Amino acid sequence: MDDLTTLRDLGRDLEHEPPATLAHQRRRLLDTASGPRWTFRAVRPLWTLRVTRGWAALGLAAAVTAAAAVAVPVVFRTYGFQAAVGDPSVTAPRGERPPGAEGTLDILFVGTDSEALNPRHRAGTGARSDTMLLIHLPAGRKKATVVSFPRDSIVRIPSCETPGGKPVPARTDMINSAYDKGGLNCAWRTVESLTGIRVDHVVETDFSGFAKLVDALGGVEMTLPRAVVDPKAKVRLPAGRQILNGRAALGYARVRYALGDGSDLMRVQRQQRLMGALVKKAEKLTGDPAKLAGFLTEARKWVRTDPGFDAETMLAVAESLRTVGPGEVEFVTVPVHPHPEDRNRLQWDARGAERLFAGLRKK
Amino acid sequence: MVPAMTAPPTVRSLDSDLVRESLTRPEAFSALFDRYAAMLYRYVSRRLGPEIAEDLVGETFLVAFARRKSYDLACEDARPWLFGIVTRLVSRHRRTEAARYRSLLRTAPEDVVESPADRVAAGVTAQASRPALARALAGIAARDRDVLLLVAWSDLSYEEVARALDIPVGTVRSRLNRARRKLRAALGDTNPLREEA
Repeated sequence: MDDLTTLRDLGRDLEHEPPATLAHQRRRLLDTASGPRWTFRAVRPLWTLRVTRGWAALGLAAAVTAAAAVAVPVVFRTYGFQAAVGDPSVTAPRGERPPGAEGTLDILFVGTDSEALNPRHRAGTGARSDTMLLIHLPAGRKKATVVSFPRDSIVRIPSCETPGGKPVPARTDMINSAYDKGGLNCAWRTVESLTGIRVDHVVETDFSGFAKLVDALGGVEMTLPRAVVDPKAKVRLPAGRQILNGRAALGYARVRYALGDGSDLMRVQRQQRLMGALVKKAEKLTGDPAKLAGFLTEARKWVRTDPGFDAETMLAVAESLRTVGPGEVEFVTVPVHPHPEDRNRLQWDARGAERLFAGLRKK
Repeated sequence: MVPAMTAPPTVRSLDSDLVRESLTRPEAFSALFDRYAAMLYRYVSRRLGPEIAEDLVGETFLVAFARRKSYDLACEDARPWLFGIVTRLVSRHRRTEAARYRSLLRTAPEDVVESPADRVAAGVTAQASRPALARALAGIAARDRDVLLLVAWSDLSYEEVARALDIPVGTVRSRLNRARRKLRAALGDTNPLREEA
């Protein structure tokens, strides 16, 4: 038989038919083709809007939150390091604050893109918040809503004080500048002022520290049902049981191709698997003092919270995050459109945003 | 067939017209997606598997869209252009591709052992030669493999492959010959049926 014929036969056997989800790629093209005008609005109903920008950060945030909320308290609970990550300089906004609905829990999550929590950076202003998310757990904890604030949003930022007590005047600016100029306290106040939602706790984490933390845990054991390959995230993981080091776990959390709304479910499942693996590992760690010490050293650099967010609260959060089904975690972005004065910036859709926040304020 | 004949004649616009139109009306570009996305998906699924194919096809069209201003409007058929972009994107996944072919080494022989009596059937011959073919594919230089697989799996002519890869037709021929020599050597070495033929 002719070699090309043999090769064509092989090709036919290897071929797959396009799945229905290929349509998502068409939409991706249309999103680009029709320009920023449409990115957030026309393609999807305003309401169920999923995160199209910063998805990587979101996946990462979920993994980081998982580790912060799960691994840290398991260890702390056992060893009584309750205050280890609570930072007394992180304080709730003073003055009038939104009332919280009974039984709800709202946590502001700030992910930074530098080693902001590393002591040598702590005094400086180099840290920038990369991601701001509000994790909303309604009373009953049957579901969770994760609200993403696009970083290019131009919003009204209230006056506040830096951790050193320096006043920062009120202004209209990018939402992330609240953190960048005034620190975690200002971010806290800004989100409360913008959403009218009472934020109970704040968590700040450093993405670059995540990998180190996983390494300090000695890696996490995962069984992957299939290979995960994403050159962009520099991830090549074979199928099967394996121990992921920090880098690999980070990559796993931010893998891109499996995202998109067709497989959102998969992403959440992946993150939950990662959470589960982290818990297991953290529990084992409590029997190994040497590793535990390393882990705590990393954890202190890597996660910071308000002092009220103690291990018990974290554990409660972790449990509810772990038990809500994949379908019950809703990721929403504050509805936005291009800013009239600067098309590269975003303006919140006042009515849509209010509708979103009002829903969360109630329950 | 009859309904197609009695349906009002529709004039299919040329790919180049669509690209031209997309310069002023970007949404028009999506018509190219409708025409070729499935075809490109099938091609990529052969080389890299279905896990990567979907995203890579999406990326292909984003790249194409971004470069549409430099499209040669004299080329009525956009396939060579799109396959050229696909080929460059596939080349970023070289290890995945090699691993995909190598995985055939492990799975194929079992199929053959199950029905030794049918070995003479052409289909089984292809099965039997598969490990050798897979090994050869994984071992062919990337540039040569790009040409070989465009010719064998995409139905492009030599001239179109040349345009896709932006190389002279003579180079297409020489790369194809080199790749096929390797294929034949691999098949001849390990497939006794071929020697009988």
